[in-house]
Amino acid sequence: MSVIQILIYAAVLVFLVTNITRFIRMASTPIHLRWELYPVAHDVKRFKYGGSFLEESDWYTKKLHKSMLGEIRVMLPEIFLLKGVWEYNRSLWLWSFTFHIGLYLLTALIFVLILGGIIIGPNIFNVEAGYGSLSTIGQIIHSLSYAMLIAGCAIGTIGTLGLIIKRSTDREMSSSSSFGSYFNLFFIAAIFISGLVFLFSGSAVDKLIKCYYSLITFQPMPNLGAAFAVHAVISGLFILYLPFTHMTHFFMKYFTYHKVRWEDTPNIRGSKLEKKIQEQLSYPVTWSAPHINADGKKNWADIATEEVKKDEK
Amino acid sequence: MKSRVKIEDISKPSKKLTHLDIDDLMPLPPPYDKIEEQPGWKALSEDALENLETSLDDTIAIGIPKPKTQEEEKELVKKFLSGLEKLLTRENNWTFLQPLLLSLEHCAKCQTCTKACPIYEASGKQDIYRPTYRSEVWRRIVHKYLKPGGKFFGRLSHGDIDLNWTTVARLMELSYRCTLCRRCAQTCPIGIDNGLITHELRKVFSQEMGIAPKELHEKGSVLQLEVGSSTGMNAEVVKDNIEFIDEDMKDLTGIEVHTPWDKEGADVLLIHNAGEILAWPENPGAFAIVLEKAGISWTLSSDIAAYDGINYGLWYDDFQLGRVAIKHAEAAKKLGVNRIVVAECGHAHKALTVIADRVLTGDFNIPRVSAMTLLEDIVFSGKIKFDPSKNDFPVTLHDPCNMVRLMGIVEPQRRILRYLCPQFREMEPHGVDNYCCGGGSGFAIMSGHNFQDWRLAVSGRMKLKQVIEAFDDHPEPETKKYLCAPCSNCKGQLRDLFRYYGVQEKSGIIYGGLVELIVNAMVDIKQPFINFDEMQ
Ligand code: SF4
Ligand code: SF4
Repeated sequence: MSVIQILIYAAVLVFLVTNITRFIRMASTPIHLRWELYPVAHDVKRFKYGGSFLEESDWYTKKLHKSMLGEIRVMLPEIFLLKGVWEYNRSLWLWSFTFHIGLYLLTALIFVLILGGIIIGPNIFNVEAGYGSLSTIGQIIHSLSYAMLIAGCAIGTIGTLGLIIKRSTDREMSSSSSFGSYFNLFFIAAIFISGLVFLFSGSAVDKLIKCYYSLITFQPMPNLGAAFAVHAVISGLFILYLPFTHMTHFFMKYFTYHKVRWEDTPNIRGSKLEKKIQEQLSYPVTWSAPHINADGKKNWADIATEEVKKDEK
Repeated sequence: MKSRVKIEDISKPSKKLTHLDIDDLMPLPPPYDKIEEQPGWKALSEDALENLETSLDDTIAIGIPKPKTQEEEKELVKKFLSGLEKLLTRENNWTFLQPLLLSLEHCAKCQTCTKACPIYEASGKQDIYRPTYRSEVWRRIVHKYLKPGGKFFGRLSHGDIDLNWTTVARLMELSYRCTLCRRCAQTCPIGIDNGLITHELRKVFSQEMGIAPKELHEKGSVLQLEVGSSTGMNAEVVKDNIEFIDEDMKDLTGIEVHTPWDKEGADVLLIHNAGEILAWPENPGAFAIVLEKAGISWTLSSDIAAYDGINYGLWYDDFQLGRVAIKHAEAAKKLGVNRIVVAECGHAHKALTVIADRVLTGDFNIPRVSAMTLLEDIVFSGKIKFDPSKNDFPVTLHDPCNMVRLMGIVEPQRRILRYLCPQFREMEPHGVDNYCCGGGSGFAIMSGHNFQDWRLAVSGRMKLKQVIEAFDDHPEPETKKYLCAPCSNCKGQLRDLFRYYGVQEKSGIIYGGLVELIVNAMVDIKQPFINFDEMQ
């Protein structure tokens, strides 16, 4: 097995394990106090103007409906069109949008190539050697891959370079940028640019399909040339690196939107939520300001009900 | 444009990290546009400069005494760091751990949020007031000092910072240059919440270091829990005051009201912000008239804390928040009411209805509803007759952040105003996109040293601009105009703002609550309830 192949396996493994662990960790943090921010997307009726069930004087007597579809309807343009950036930061939008579209296309290409590896992988060596031809579906996958690769890398390069220029010239952005902020952008630019170089080195899609075929079947990867090697190493290293950065926001947005900004579930007596809260109220507290009166043994509820207990005495 | 203040500059000792001049600030519309006529801010006293930490900007909100020795400084820095650590543990901070971790790890530094912040914009874009400035300082400290390998990796990926007493003292003050309005959070494409980060920093200072502005702590939540109200009124005094208000209402409107106290089994326990009783007695008076006329079974409670809806813990300390919320709920439980109605106070709304929702369990969990909804029910019930022509003057509405952006109570008050005020118009932006009055998160009651000047010149600037522009079809002071602000704290800020700029004299605008407009439109009231000349 080649070094590149080992690197890709390791990267994918680390990517999956780290991201899944991060997801599980975030999902298992305690239920927090309500901290919603309106408009809340699952309240379809009131989303347009930002209203909530609290606009009714008898809200507590009614069953609350949450529309998952409502949330999806808001998230799709947010993810694919960067609606928030369009609305609130127009001068950044073009660069951010092209940057993200480039990444989306290359990510989608992975799945197309997996399919390609399975469907035309076994045949690609024969075709190259002059025997047989690709099936219609094979040809579609081949052409689609080519289009995605060229579009993804070209659009992504424009976006990333635009972001680098914007970040370094915009007063607000440059003031809060660190070495890491630029490093990430240059890293991603390297993926796109090396992708373009690889593309122009010839037979890029054939090479990619061979690569995926080898990866899927655990067979040694043939030598696919220097341009491929450079692109594959940079991409592999990036996949390895991503789970340790803020870029995990691509899935953490599930929490920031669904679990915080739109999390408005009221606490109902006798509910599962109430039980969970009661459990958390029994967590011991060690804050050390004198007015808290914590000793590491008293729990949250003991401290918060101190005044009530004083009255009872 | 001023010279840049970089994130890491916060650690470098200097006399001031930022100095503001009036002509740096966002311009105001006429007739408030002349810089020479703007009041500006007083300089800090020699005594304050000598004894207190004043090196952030031109004002102080907390007034932190300067440590006497280096050991003392070191001790405070150590405490700060231990507080930051506790903030990231489930046991100590289950209340906000998840949103905080999300905001720690995922900011893309795109600065989309900066454009939404009224303080940053009004200050003429001073770097230190950028919503991300304090967040970045916090992030860098956490990554460098609390994460394994942070001295190398944290520094590299998040940027460098030195944690010393200068950093802590400035960050402490800086956590009181944000009104927690969360307008920035609303625009963040990723869902990062700079308002939350400010809130959590304030918690470290209070819960670990015992440091908070005295108006919020000693004279705020502590006094409320001890005496019953942050106004200092005990149960006897508050009852006397309400009796006077009832009498005044009879004189003014001819309607006899007897505010009920501690009535067991009432449908509604009404909780006012007790500041209303002293500063704007017509508001609780108008509530009494409307509730009586509508035949609502209601009561006030004379239990400690229960006649004052404020809950300042919301802004700086989870435990003070919990203690007060539990006292409110306990009073309701004792009286056996069906629901608590929170009167015209935005932060009291949010504290008791939303934030304390996951603190009040079992029989403390009594339904809490907004007075906006109860008033809407009453106005449209047909039980009271109205003549909207009595309110035929220009009216606009201020949306309290806590009630609107953070609770989604947007329309009930508008439906009332559209019905009862023929010249109602919106200010821009409004609803969930509103701008804070500039007095949020406790600012309205914080006036030590020259902080009041700062909150009027800087944090209230955007609101003043909006209000003036909402009435730009009638700029002349002769046309009387009404700014409806259904929140005590906002009214406190607006009162100060209007005095500071002379808004009533220059533009003929007064401010007041919602229920006053309702009573003013009642057919049964013979003379106007709202008196444009007497209000101040
Ligand atoms: S908080 Fe959000 S909007 Fe602000 S810089 Fe971070 S990611 Fe961008
Ligand atoms: S919460 Fe409000 S005041 Fe604070 S930084 Fe955000 S927008 Fe500015």
